[in-house]
Amino acid sequence: MAAAANSSASAAGAGGGSAAAAGLKTYFKTPEGRYKLQYEKTHSAAVLHYNHGGKTVSQLTVAYLKEKPAGQGSTPSTPSSSSGMRSAAARLLGSGNGNRTLSFVGGNGVSRAVSGSSRIGGGLGTSGGIGSSQAVANYDGKGTYIIFNTADTLFISDLNSQDKDPIKSIHFSNSNPLCHAFDPEAKEGHDLIIGMGSGDVYSMSLRQQLQDSGRKPVAAQHYNKGDKDGTSTGSRCTSVAWVPEREGIFVVSHSDGNLYVYDKCKDGNTECTFPAIKDPAQLMISHAKSSKSNPIARWHVCQGSINAISFSPDGAYLATVGRDGYLRVFDFSKEQLIFGGKSYYGALLCCTWSSDGKYLLTGGEDDLVQVWSMDDRKIVAWGEGHNSWVSGVSFDSYWSPPNSDGTGENTVYRFGSVGQDTQLLLWDLALDEIAVPLRHPSSGSPTFSSGSPSAHWDNACLPTGVLQPSPRMRDVPKLSPLVAHRVHVDPLSGLVFTNESILTICREGLIKIWVRPDQNENNHQSNSSELVLGNPVSKDRVITTSNKATGSSFKQSSAVVFT
Amino acid sequence: MVMGASGSKLEKALGDQFPEGERYFGLENFGNTCYCNSVLQALYFCIPFREKLLEYYANNKTPGDAEENLLTCLADLFMQVSQSKKKTGVIAPKRFVQRVKKQNELFRSYMHQDAHEFLNFLLNELVDILEKESNAAKDSPQSSSPEKVPNGPVQPLANGVRKEPPVTLVHKNFQGILTNETRCLRCETVTARDETFFDLSVDIEQNSSITSCLKNFCSTETLNAEDKFFCDKCCSLQEAQKRMKIKKAPHILVIHLKRFKYIEQLGRYKKLSYRVVFPMELKLSTSDDVDTEYSLFAVVVHVGSGPNHGHYVSLVKSHNHWLFFDDENVEMVEESTLQTFFGSSHEYSGNTDHGYILFYEGLGGKS
Repeated sequence: MAAAANSSASAAGAGGGSAAAAGLKTYFKTPEGRYKLQYEKTHSAAVLHYNHGGKTVSQLTVAYLKEKPAGQGSTPSTPSSSSGMRSAAARLLGSGNGNRTLSFVGGNGVSRAVSGSSRIGGGLGTSGGIGSSQAVANYDGKGTYIIFNTADTLFISDLNSQDKDPIKSIHFSNSNPLCHAFDPEAKEGHDLIIGMGSGDVYSMSLRQQLQDSGRKPVAAQHYNKGDKDGTSTGSRCTSVAWVPEREGIFVVSHSDGNLYVYDKCKDGNTECTFPAIKDPAQLMISHAKSSKSNPIARWHVCQGSINAISFSPDGAYLATVGRDGYLRVFDFSKEQLIFGGKSYYGALLCCTWSSDGKYLLTGGEDDLVQVWSMDDRKIVAWGEGHNSWVSGVSFDSYWSPPNSDGTGENTVYRFGSVGQDTQLLLWDLALDEIAVPLRHPSSGSPTFSSGSPSAHWDNACLPTGVLQPSPRMRDVPKLSPLVAHRVHVDPLSGLVFTNESILTICREGLIKIWVRPDQNENNHQSNSSELVLGNPVSKDRVITTSNKATGSSFKQSSAVVFT
Repeated sequence: MVMGASGSKLEKALGDQFPEGERYFGLENFGNTCYCNSVLQALYFCIPFREKLLEYYANNKTPGDAEENLLTCLADLFMQVSQSKKKTGVIAPKRFVQRVKKQNELFRSYMHQDAHEFLNFLLNELVDILEKESNAAKDSPQSSSPEKVPNGPVQPLANGVRKEPPVTLVHKNFQGILTNETRCLRCETVTARDETFFDLSVDIEQNSSITSCLKNFCSTETLNAEDKFFCDKCCSLQEAQKRMKIKKAPHILVIHLKRFKYIEQLGRYKKLSYRVVFPMELKLSTSDDVDTEYSLFAVVVHVGSGPNHGHYVSLVKSHNHWLFFDDENVEMVEESTLQTFFGSSHEYSGNTDHGYILFYEGLGGKS
């Protein structure tokens, strides 16, 4: 093991290793077939990077740009897509991005559902229209781009090109970009937001950046929190997200436990004060007094950093995870806490939603993946399998159970996780199997280790607005991974499922694109919202691994499945 | 001058938040004594240990003019810091260092020493002294019996003679119990043997976490082929499974990361710069399914590329602030700074500052 690690490390360059490095395979197997390494993307080694005040961790956003209709002028307008394009977009947009973050940097993106209604005639962005477009247009036919950050630069790569280098670099002169999010539903103006290490936020048009050949942001709008009180020292942005179904509204979380709501149509540099926070451990929501102010609201969520945020696909709920180890789920419009719970121990670093909005995943410093139920308002399972902190979790909304006849409700979910152990794990969540063991451990009326009043685990529904304490190790059903694959030399920081592939990114900024098995194409032709499990999922799935040491670890963890 | 500037800088940085009654003092380096200084700072900010030591020293100092030993030197040093009129500054631990070198020839040279060896030596030496004093007090009919709470039939390694040694303040703070279980795979008999520990030494792997290292520490090992187990019941060599369980969790959990590995081909030790992440909070599951919760309060960091070259520093949490102690220098740092001491994903990166000994304090009401 040590020898293999040494040779892997020595073969790897500073910017991350090639797939040919010893110990890393270019494929992994699942019951559906082989996922193969198709492309690699990274920042250009020729460009020197400057870090403003510390090392950054690369994050990944996938952006889908719709094609401009042929024959139309350069002035942007709301394109009327054909029904074919719309259905294609519907598949592409379903839960394309997951949230992934580490304890000191932000995550990207948000799960978004297709809008059932369109808001026509919304306010124009302050950037207005483009006067005249550049002669050079860098559009690929499919229009799918990868956005990632390293040091003081934001990079844009073409997802479907073999080219390893980015097609665009955007340099920030005063701070490091840490997190970013793209809004494929943006009708006018800016669709890309970027959170900085200084606490500032920028919004811009992805299309405009691609059309420009320079290295500076083009027509970017700047936002700051506006806090002028002395205690605010420019707390780092940790996560940014557009609010689904609310055009132009986005949310930014910070390492001081605050979250700010911005309107992209308002001036981002207004003077704006919020009341002083008296108890850092208590939720406190304040609204800006002036209608011209931006941010329009500040939520103080928790003591310590908010590490990641994620909206439910319909935009109704907002999930946050923090340094204090708590997941909190809020009703965003009512501004109320719905429920929350604590990790086994340590901070939570990432969170995401299933595309139907019924389940959440979190990951953090206890090396576990936690599965939470929105209906039950509590933890339903822990995934054991990572050998280090979990830095990214995501549901695979493009996957359907084998032998599905395309009717009925979803009873098996596929999700993935990546960690600082350099591994990608894939999991199957079979809900009819999870439900059974929950009854068994609760027969003894377990009390929680934190000493809170005991609660029966099998209560049908927990009350609203309660943060559950950390459960005991033996009280939570355990999941084992279907697949464990070491995909990078460096610790991982992000994971995205797309229609055709899985994307992984490591902290150093190397991205790998794993193309789905060919036979999987058939499954995706059926409507993913109407899937049913045809056959019971086998409990004796073989764990595939490329690493012998990892294999021995999974041999142990399999012993605790469904205890 | 540097000392004054550094001290006043720290006081300004903390301002109103300087904790009441607390002292932040650097320790002078007498030539490769950073292994000593870094461990001393970690122990000083182990509040239960500091308080018990100073209390014991205050109660036992007056009866007779007892000879100087490592315990008195350590207590004197702690007293010197805690009772200083100034809040910050530098102290020279001269008497303590001289006493260490006098009692252990291993530390007599001016070469670089291993901080973990020093910690082990110090704790065991304190145990010897405390047990001697406890026995002496017990033998004397006039003095009152010292506080004694036996743990049961646990036989410590250091003292093979006594069945129930006195429980010293060192045991109360640092001692845990491991159970070595061996299960014969033929007759299913489980043989258990208890073992006490003051710290856990865990093997490390690249890109792992303390959680997975502890899991590996307690993982099951199969004895077969040439390594079979002699089962008393079967009266023969059989295949068996062996594993380690934590029977009693210590109040202060000290985790030693085995970063120095002997390489046979080279004939010397090599440093493993592996990236091993450690969280601010941790839980240990004991064999009776109790989850003990811990909070990180100190890290001893090794700086350098090998065991015989380098430097030790320590990071310490005091009243919700993190402080960086580099011999004489003391400064406040952000909690996120600890992540820079996780290690390197690449073997030949420039980063040589690696967490080496972790100190976690139990959060329960244990004593």
